[in-house]
Amino acid sequence: MVANDPFLDQVTALLPALRAFGRSLCGDPARADDLVQDTVLKAWTNRIQFQSGSNLKAWLFTILRNCYYSELRHRKFEVEDPEGICAAQLSVAPVHDARLHLRDLNRALQELPHDQREALVLVCATGLSYEEAADVCQVAVGTIKSRIARARDRLVELLGEDAAMVTDPASSESSVGSVSLASARARVS
Amino acid sequence: MSDKTKPEQAIPGPGEPAEQVPDWLGNRLRRMFTDVMDEPVPDEFKALLKQLEDKERGS
Repeated sequence: MVANDPFLDQVTALLPALRAFGRSLCGDPARADDLVQDTVLKAWTNRIQFQSGSNLKAWLFTILRNCYYSELRHRKFEVEDPEGICAAQLSVAPVHDARLHLRDLNRALQELPHDQREALVLVCATGLSYEEAADVCQVAVGTIKSRIARARDRLVELLGEDAAMVTDPASSESSVGSVSLASARARVS
Repeated sequence: MSDKTKPEQAIPGPGEPAEQVPDWLGNRLRRMFTDVMDEPVPDEFKALLKQLEDKERGS
């Protein structure tokens, strides 16, 4: 899928990353693709505003993020919860008496407040720098680091004691299978 | 108060992402992300991009 327009060429090349970012934000493949389509249309409409030579990936992520939050604002139960406080409380309710046996990272990610999830994904999954992620989220670098720290702690809590012990076949060369929870906690604290 | 000035958002300390997140978690996050990136892009995106390109040509 190659377009002749240079801008569209670059957007096309970033579609997979946009789809992955969108899915990590909302957790729903179909909804994520709708967000990506909205993002492409908005980017195209506002392409004059994009400064050639700057980071198109970060710019597109910013648009996608804005689309996502705009959509959330139209959902009444999300309107008054910009920090995800209520959502976090709701998500904790089912696990108040027992550790949530979540082995699916994607599901666990959706348990995080929106701001923590996006910070973690932007830096640790998409490969953006702290500075780029801060630009996308329109916050300070320190805020991004703080959100990542809280997201990490919450994920460790959600995924349970065996999370660090489960071997990932795709990364068997890494230390995934050999990291104990104790050492993981030591590293994250 | 803007988000940039919230006192609770103190910088937790220096370090790269790899230092802030344990290997097992970072690896899985990247794997989850690349799994989606490896999926074929749906045809509807091709149609949308073609539509935009045609529109540009026609303008």
